[in-house]
Amino acid sequence: MLLREVEYVKPSSVAEAIELLVENEGARALAGGQTLINVMKARAASPDALVDLNGLEELKGIDLAPDGTLTIGAMTTYSEIVASAEAKARPILGEVCAQIADVQVRNRGTIGGNICSNDPTNHLPPLVTAVGARMTILGRDGERVVSAEEFFLGVYMTAVGPGELLTRVTIPAGKGDGFAAVTLGVDGTCIANAAASIQDGSLRVALGCVDAVPVLLRPESADADAVREAVRAAGLEPPSDVHASSEYRRHLAEVLAVRAAAQAAERAGG
Amino acid sequence: MSVETASEARASAVAPERVEAPLKGWAGQSVPRKEDKRLVQGEGLFVDDIKRHGMGYLHFVRSPYAHAHITRIDVSAAEAIPGVYGTLTGEEVAALTDPFFQISSPPGAHVKDYALAVGKVRYVGEPVVAVVAETRELARDASELVEVEYEPLPPVVDARRALDEDAPVLHEEAGSNLMWTGVYEWGDVEQAFAEADRIVTIKELHFHRFNSTPLECDAALVEYNRGVGQWTIYTNNQFPGFAAIMMGPALRVGLDKLRFVTQDIGGGFGNKITSHPQLVVCCLLARKLNRPIQWTEWRTDFHMSMSHGNERWFHDTEVAVKEDGTLLGFRTKALDDAGAWLRYEPLGGVIWAQVTPGMYRWRNIRLEFTQVATNKAPVSPNRGYSRMQHLWFTERVIDIVAHELGLDPVEVRKRNYIRAEEMPYETPNGCVYDSGDYARMLDLALELVGYDRIEERRAEAASRGKLLGVGIGSTLDSGTNNFGQSRLINPELQFSGNNEVATVKLDIFGEIVVTLGTTPQGQGHETTAAQVVADILGCSVDDVHVRAGHDSYWNSHAGFSGTYASQFAVTGLSAVKGATEMLAAEIKKLGSVILGAPEEALELADGTVRVKDNPEAALPFMACGAIINANNAGLPEDLDVTLNCRYVYRPPFQPPDVERKYGNLTLTYAAQVHVAVIEVDPETGYYEIVDYAAVDDCGVRINPQIVEGQVMGATAQAIGAAMHEAFEYDEEGNLLTPNFYDYHVPHALDMPPLATGAIESPSPFTPLGTKGMGEGGGAGIHAICAAVQDALRGHGDAIVWDSHNPYRRVWEMLQHPERTRELVEVKAA
Amino acid sequence: MATVASSKSITVTVNGTTYEREVPARKLLIHFLRDDLDLTGSHIGCDTGNCGACSVIVDGTLVKSCMMLAVQADGATIETVEGLAEDGELNELQRSFNEHHALQCGYCTPGMLMSATALLRANPSPSEQEIRKALQGNICRCTGYWNIIEAVKAVAK
Repeated sequence: MLLREVEYVKPSSVAEAIELLVENEGARALAGGQTLINVMKARAASPDALVDLNGLEELKGIDLAPDGTLTIGAMTTYSEIVASAEAKARPILGEVCAQIADVQVRNRGTIGGNICSNDPTNHLPPLVTAVGARMTILGRDGERVVSAEEFFLGVYMTAVGPGELLTRVTIPAGKGDGFAAVTLGVDGTCIANAAASIQDGSLRVALGCVDAVPVLLRPESADADAVREAVRAAGLEPPSDVHASSEYRRHLAEVLAVRAAAQAAERAGG
Repeated sequence: MSVETASEARASAVAPERVEAPLKGWAGQSVPRKEDKRLVQGEGLFVDDIKRHGMGYLHFVRSPYAHAHITRIDVSAAEAIPGVYGTLTGEEVAALTDPFFQISSPPGAHVKDYALAVGKVRYVGEPVVAVVAETRELARDASELVEVEYEPLPPVVDARRALDEDAPVLHEEAGSNLMWTGVYEWGDVEQAFAEADRIVTIKELHFHRFNSTPLECDAALVEYNRGVGQWTIYTNNQFPGFAAIMMGPALRVGLDKLRFVTQDIGGGFGNKITSHPQLVVCCLLARKLNRPIQWTEWRTDFHMSMSHGNERWFHDTEVAVKEDGTLLGFRTKALDDAGAWLRYEPLGGVIWAQVTPGMYRWRNIRLEFTQVATNKAPVSPNRGYSRMQHLWFTERVIDIVAHELGLDPVEVRKRNYIRAEEMPYETPNGCVYDSGDYARMLDLALELVGYDRIEERRAEAASRGKLLGVGIGSTLDSGTNNFGQSRLINPELQFSGNNEVATVKLDIFGEIVVTLGTTPQGQGHETTAAQVVADILGCSVDDVHVRAGHDSYWNSHAGFSGTYASQFAVTGLSAVKGATEMLAAEIKKLGSVILGAPEEALELADGTVRVKDNPEAALPFMACGAIINANNAGLPEDLDVTLNCRYVYRPPFQPPDVERKYGNLTLTYAAQVHVAVIEVDPETGYYEIVDYAAVDDCGVRINPQIVEGQVMGATAQAIGAAMHEAFEYDEEGNLLTPNFYDYHVPHALDMPPLATGAIESPSPFTPLGTKGMGEGGGAGIHAICAAVQDALRGHGDAIVWDSHNPYRRVWEMLQHPERTRELVEVKAA
Repeated sequence: MATVASSKSITVTVNGTTYEREVPARKLLIHFLRDDLDLTGSHIGCDTGNCGACSVIVDGTLVKSCMMLAVQADGATIETVEGLAEDGELNELQRSFNEHHALQCGYCTPGMLMSATALLRANPSPSEQEIRKALQGNICRCTGYWNIIEAVKAVAK
C-alpha cells in the first residue's frame, strides 16, 4: 500500500501516449496495473509518472484474419481473450489466460502487460515464444516487429525501449499447442511451466521459470525421450527460491516439457 | 476418485446423536448469526474504519537486518517535512517506559523487552522508529528519510545452532540464547523401556513455523485524555486482559488508565494477542503529540514481525512398544524456537502439557523442553497453540511406529486410545480428560471417506499413475486454561485459575441487554449468548440484545477476559448463564411482589413473569424494567432487585503441584479425528486431497452450525499449513514468504470435498455440558502428513519428518527416501 | 497533449451517489473509497493484490480496488458492498450468506459478496466449479470456503 508520489496522465491516443513517454523521462506506461501497482506499493519501483493506457481503443481487440492469424491488441485483457470467439482459433490462448491469477486480475491484466513485465513466473512469455508470436513495437520513429526470441531480454526487460510501446501481438494460425505447469495451489503462481507448439511438423518448446527469459527448445519430436533429451541438452541452471530448488525446477522443466509436448502432439494430430 | 461435493458429503454424514442437554429450546439449534446483518452490508466496525479529527497516521521504520547494533538514528530530515507530526525512537521508549514484564524464570527473565528496538535489532522487520504524519502516505514517505546506521552482527537463524559455543547471542543479559528449559517426567520411564519388546527411535522431527494470517492485520487508534491521564485504545487485540497487564507497568500507570475498545475483529486465531509493544508506541505518541494516533499494519509488516507460531524440533525420540503395538511410553527432547522476543513465551513450554499423552493410554513420558531465542520474528499463540505441535508429534510417533513395525495405524490407534469407559481419565500429569469416545470418532471419520474401499481406490489411482495415501490425525482441543500452569514455567508467578464475566440487565423499556468480557473474532458470541439467555428468560433470541464487541469500561471485564484458548462455550457462556439466572431470580422476586404470588409459583415465559397456574396473571418484562428503573416508589424497602446482574464464572481449578508438574491444566478436552485421502503425482511431487473427513466432539453444541463452521475453518488452516504455508528464512534471517504472494493461503479452488461429522459427549465439568473447541487441534496437519507417508509406502518408504510438505519436499522424499529413512531405527529391547 | 499532474479532480458515482474530489495520483482506489468517501465496507487484507477483500465492481467489471488508482476511476460507476441491500433489506445473496453461515469474522465478506455478485450477473446458473473459480481471488481465513460456496450455490438459478 501507500505508493511514493507519482504523476499521472491519461492520453487520448497511442501517438500521444508515445509523446508523453518520450517527453517525460522516468515515466512508465501503465497497462492493467496488476503487476506494476503492486511493485509500486512495495516501493520496489517508483516511476516519476504513469502514462495510463487504459481506454485506448487502438490497443484493444482481437482480430482473426482469414488465414487464421490472430492479432491481439496489447491492452486486451485476459478475460477478453478467455471470452473471445476469435481467440478460440488458437484455443491454448484462452485456456492459459484462464489459469492466470483470478477473475479480478484477469479483468484488468493484459496480454501486453504480462509479456512486457516478463516476470519469469508469468504464463504468457513461454506461451508466445512457443507459438511463434511476433510483437509489434511502436515508437516515435515508427513500428518494428520482433520475434519472441528477440523480444525477451532479461528479467523485467524486453525489446520495448524507452519511449516505445508494445501495440499488438500477432500469432500465426495453428492448433497443435500444449501447456503444463506446477503451481502454488490450483491455478496459482507458476513454480515451473512449459509451453509447446507444433507448426508444420516442427516442435517448439518454451520453458518458463528456469531462466531470465523463456528458454526455447526445438526437440527432434514430441516423443518423451526426445523432449527430455532436449531439455537436458539445454544445460539449465534454474534459480533456487523458497518454492523450489534449482534441481527440482530442472526436473519439473523436463516433466512439464514432456507433458506440454504430448498435449501439443495430440492436438496437432487431431 | 470421489467427486462428491461438500454439501452432498455433509448430507451423507452420520447425524449427530443428541444427548440430554441441560437446556432445551434455543440452545442446540443452528440459529443464524445475529452478527451477520451488519457484516454482510459492510457495516461492521473494524479498527481501521474509525476516524478521529486531527489523527496522525503512524508508520514504523523497520530493521533491514536480522541482527545488528544501532549506532545512530537521525529523525531530523523526517521531522522537517511539512505534515509530519513527530517521531518516537527506542531511546525515548527506554526513558519513558519500563521493560515489559517477563513471564519466564531465568535466564529468559533477564531479557529486556521494550516497545521499540533499543540499541540493537534482533530480526528483520523489527520496529526501530515510529513516524507520525498527516496522511498514511506521508508517514511512509517520512519514514524513508529516517537515517539509521547499523553495525551488522552475525545472526542465528536455525534453533539447532542457537546454543552452540560460538553462536551469536541475542540477549546478552540472558548470557546465551537459552531462554527456558525444564524436564517433565511422569510414570516410570525406565521401567517402560525395560518392559518394551521394541524400541523405535526417531532422530529428528520438525514442526514448522507458520500462523493463521487473519485477513485483518493488527491496528489501533489511540486517544489520550490529558486531563485524566487515560488512554482509550481502539484495537483488535484479542486478549486485552493480557495486554493491560503487560502495558500498565511498562507505561507506569494503573490498568484503569488503559481503556480497551473493540467492535469487530477480522480474525485473530491467537495472532492478535501480543500487539502490546505496538500499542505502547501508539500510547506514547498520543501523549507526546497530543493527538489521536492511528496505526494500521499492512500484510508484509504482519508477516515479518507478528505472532509466528512456535517452530519446534523433537530430537532423539525413543518409543517403548510391545509386540502387539501397545505403547508404553516415550522420551524426547523438544527444542522450541521462540524467535527474537518472549512476548507470550515461554508459556509454550507448558501449554503442550495440557495434552501430554495425546489421545493415548501410555503413562510413562519424559520430555525435556528447551526454548531458545533466534533472529526471527517473535512467536505468539497461534490456533492450537503449543498443543498442536505436541499432538502432531504424538501422532507422528504413532504412525512411524505403525509403519516401522508393519502394523495398521487404525489398529494401533484403537489399541492405544483412551477408552470411553475410562472417562473422566486422569493423564500421567494430572490433567482430567472430561469425556469422549475417540475410537467411535475414528470409525465415523473412516466411514465418511469410504475407508472400506480404500485398497480398491489405491489400485485405481495406481492405474492412472497416481499414488494414493490415506492418513489420520487425532487431536485434542484443550480449553479453559488453568493459568496456574504458568507456575510450572516460573514458580514465582501469581496466576492461577481463570474467570470470565457477563452482565445481563433488563432496561427501562424491557430490553434485555447482555455485555460480554470477550473479544470475538467471528465465533458468533452475540448469537450463542442470546440463545442461552433466551432459554433462561423464556423469550426469543430476537429479544436479546448482546452488545457487539468489548469495552473494558463496561463492567464485564476480568483479568482473563478475552477470546483465546478455546473457552467461550465454557467461560463466556457460563458467565452469561450465571448472570441470566441471577436476573431471572430478580424478575421473579419482583413479580412475586407485584403479582402477589410466591416465587415458586412463577415462571418466565413469552417475555413475561407469570403465575404458572394462571398465565393471565403476568407482568411483561417491559413493566419489570419500568418499575425498577423509573417507577419504584412504594416498593418494599427490603426488595433487593436491580435487574442489572453481573456474574463472574470461575472454573473449578486447583493450583498445580509445581514440584511434580502435576495438575489439571484445562477444564475441557474437545476431540477431533480427521482423515485425509490424497493422490500424489510421483513425477512432480504434486498432490491433491481427494477426500477429507472431520469428526468433532465438543460436548453439547449450543449452535451446531457455528461449531461446524469452526471445524471447517480449522480444517482449512490445517490444509494450508500442511501443504503450503510456512514462514521460511534464509541464512541471513530474511523472511522469504513476507506476504500472500509467496505465502500461499488456500483459496476456493484448493479446498477438497469435505465431510463433517459430530458426536456429543457432554462435559461433566461445565455448567452447560459444553467444551471449548475453536482451535481445532490441528488434526488436519497430521492427517495430511500421514497420508503422504502412506502414499509413499512401497515407493522408498520415506518417513515424513516435517509438518510442512510442499510438492518439492514430497518429490525429494521420493528421490531420496534414504535421507529420511536414516532418521528412524527399530531396536529389539 | 494531456497534462501530467500529481493530482486530479475526479468524479465517480458510487452506489448511486456522485462524488467529486481532488485526489493525489498515488492514492489507491481502495484508500479513496475508505478514507475519502468513508465507505469502509470494502477492506484491505494484503498488500500484494492477492486477498480480494477490496473487490468492487467498476463499470460492471469486478476489480480489486487496491490495484487501481483512484484517478483511473474518473467518470466511473462503482458498486460496493454498501450498495447491495435494498432499502435496508438484505438481498438474496446476503441472506444466503447468513443462512449458510458463510462468514465468521466478516472481514473478507464484502469482497466475497462482490465477487459472487459479479459471477451471478454473468452466469446466473454457475456450477460448483464455476463458483470456486469465481471466488479464487478472495481469501477467507475463517470458513474454509465450503459454506460460502453453498451460499452462492443456493441463490444460483
